[in-house]
Amino acid sequence: MKVEKTMTSQATRLTLLLALLAWAVVAMFPANVMAAGDPDEDPPLAALGPVPEPPDNRITPEKVELGLLLYFDPKLSGDASLGCADCHKPSEGWATNEPICRGYPGTVHWRNCQTVVNSGYLGKLFWQGNAKSLESQAKTAATGGVSGNGERDVMEQRLRQTPEYLKRFREVYGTERPILNDAWNAIATFERAMLSQTDTPLDRYLKGDKAALSEQAIAGLELFNGKANCIECHNGAMLSDEKYYNMGVPRPFEWEETGLNTITFRFELYAKGVYEEYYQEFKDDLGLYFTTKRKSDMGKFRTPPLRYVAFTAPYMHAGQFFTLEEVIDFYDEGGGENEMNDRFGNKTPILKPLNLSDEEKEALVAFLEELSGDEIEIPLPPVPPYGVMPDVAGLTQADAKRAGLEMYLIQSGQE
Amino acid sequence: MNQLGSPFSLVRLVVSGAAALAVFAALAIGPASAGESYPAIGPLPARDAPKASLVEMGKRLFFDARISGDGAIACAACHNPAKGFGDGMALSNAYPGTKYFRNAPTLINTVYKSSYPNVGWSWDGHMGANLNDVVRDQITETTIMNMDMRIMHERMKQDAVYVEMCQENFGGECSSGKARKALVAFIETLVSGNGSAFDKGQLSASAERGRTLFEGKANCIQCHNGSYFSDGAPHNTGVPENLEIFRDPIRHLTYRSVIATHGVPKMEIWRRDVGYFLVSKNYADVGKFVTPTLRELIYTGPYMHNGVFNTLEEIVYFYSLGGGHDDPLANEVEALGLIAGEQADLVAFLESLSSAEPVTVEPLVVPQKYEPIDDWLETKN
Repeated sequence: MKVEKTMTSQATRLTLLLALLAWAVVAMFPANVMAAGDPDEDPPLAALGPVPEPPDNRITPEKVELGLLLYFDPKLSGDASLGCADCHKPSEGWATNEPICRGYPGTVHWRNCQTVVNSGYLGKLFWQGNAKSLESQAKTAATGGVSGNGERDVMEQRLRQTPEYLKRFREVYGTERPILNDAWNAIATFERAMLSQTDTPLDRYLKGDKAALSEQAIAGLELFNGKANCIECHNGAMLSDEKYYNMGVPRPFEWEETGLNTITFRFELYAKGVYEEYYQEFKDDLGLYFTTKRKSDMGKFRTPPLRYVAFTAPYMHAGQFFTLEEVIDFYDEGGGENEMNDRFGNKTPILKPLNLSDEEKEALVAFLEELSGDEIEIPLPPVPPYGVMPDVAGLTQADAKRAGLEMYLIQSGQE
Repeated sequence: MNQLGSPFSLVRLVVSGAAALAVFAALAIGPASAGESYPAIGPLPARDAPKASLVEMGKRLFFDARISGDGAIACAACHNPAKGFGDGMALSNAYPGTKYFRNAPTLINTVYKSSYPNVGWSWDGHMGANLNDVVRDQITETTIMNMDMRIMHERMKQDAVYVEMCQENFGGECSSGKARKALVAFIETLVSGNGSAFDKGQLSASAERGRTLFEGKANCIQCHNGSYFSDGAPHNTGVPENLEIFRDPIRHLTYRSVIATHGVPKMEIWRRDVGYFLVSKNYADVGKFVTPTLRELIYTGPYMHNGVFNTLEEIVYFYSLGGGHDDPLANEVEALGLIAGEQADLVAFLESLSSAEPVTVEPLVVPQKYEPIDDWLETKN
């Protein structure tokens, strides 16, 4: 609303009243705020500080080392064939350089694998924002039907059958035997400690090193904050407001063209629990709707952070775009159209055609490329082998028959 | 406590079994044989053949590895038609990344186990109140097929053959419930018929003597009775432990995983298969396993819940000595004192319980690829 300087006091009161009314509506229907765009102030881009450390999962060197081993260990999946590192690959930006993630053997995933780098700073993990911590993300990924497909019982016993883990969990957690929940804690700790990157050209620039960005990148930064209006959603130190938007990103072609992908698509609709009608009809990912079950949230995904993007192509929730240029072209056109927008008209009004020149697009790309530091490389740790329990080497039939019955024998007067 | 260890154990067993036996008799498993209170051994009652098209659907599922979580194993991997619908190994392998701690039991005649209402399937009797439940458990158990049934039905919906089969047999789209019914129908066809010498009444002289021992001096019939040759109840006969379960770390962790899931205490301590204790949590039931059928034995070795015996001779010798000595738990079997000839006669009788031709089916090769759906965007999911 445009406010004239010459308004009367009556008009001022009316404006105030309207503002109050608007505030009340906002307070009552927060979803409508989202649908109407992002009315909040956009925190400026900022250098990344130290990674937050949850009070119930402190970072210690021993825990980091344990988490490193677990991250690369395939024991934490259904058939012990894939670990965290098989989808969040160090050599592919700690993500997967395929549009849609590989998934558990015999399946394929349905969304793009996101980078683990700097994920410790996020409050919402996954494209749907449905994990609120790295600990919970690790557990969810290891147990999901098309990701790790692991069950708690067998994964925990695998850890307990591994002498190296018996020793290390004891050291780190003081438990007699590994507890699976502590494995997720250790993995999250490794990710926070080893995969946080705070020394990118952007960070150096924002801390005062004006030479850290090229002239072209600085021009890109100005576009980012201004004409291109990326800052509306990609703001703050992580370049994400962690809010949800439908931008009209097109449906990935895989669901239609590849049988294995169609299966997973339907499974997700089914497993995430939508009305039968929606299960039968929809051909696209309903995003935040799966969490909230509000129609206005159809097709909304959490703004992804932009750090490390130089290594994490392809982009968008199902890897619809292979290059940053494609992404910028998409926004230059004011986003796209998809089924959810067709039916519910909930595409974010933030997106409007930008009329960027080729030069401006190039500047934006140049800026986006400065959001990554060096590629993070870690030598592959060995996978700790299983071991036989110490008493088993000399185990006799008589020992075997009696072990476990001690209390029973005392109670029955046989001991 | 320790009732079973008392000198009267056998008497008590018989007395306590009488009530259950009455139930079995009422279920028309067979009239009690003359002079004994055990259900008589005899031919299996005929069963109505399930609908052929349903059997066909079940057979396709049975040979389709896509009904396991990672698409690596079909039912037939452990219940192989070429190995008497077992896997021919002492201990089964089960799901990749785990290894099982029991012998894969034959599926032949397993449908007859439906007549025993109080003990479920599997060696420790923990599975299912009916065969449909067992099929569900086998498919979904972490250490067996580790399949999310929701993914399974979506896989079926992506396969034109299943889509047609579901439509033909049930109407409507594929579901895990339909898959289970079809698998049960297929398993219902895995029965002996009357192809054994025993069923045809063509016992050799030796087998005939064996039968007399079976029902008399050797007293096998106290547990192996009725037309299914099982009382459907758990017993401890002192079978040696298969220590391979603990020497192989993957088997050991698989074992712990299963007993942990079922709430067995002290899972780190056990170095034996707790057996029916897993169900009852009564320490007197440690080491008890449900009596297996004796039909089709010549095709279904190795024997016992953990495959420790390779031949029928070994088993007969084992029981002739009174079974194993499960110190400190009681044994339910007394020494039989069978002389060598008697043991041979018993083996001959046991062999006569197998069909002359193996009960088997031609394996089906099921294409594992999923095709896209024509005109998907215009088709309901």
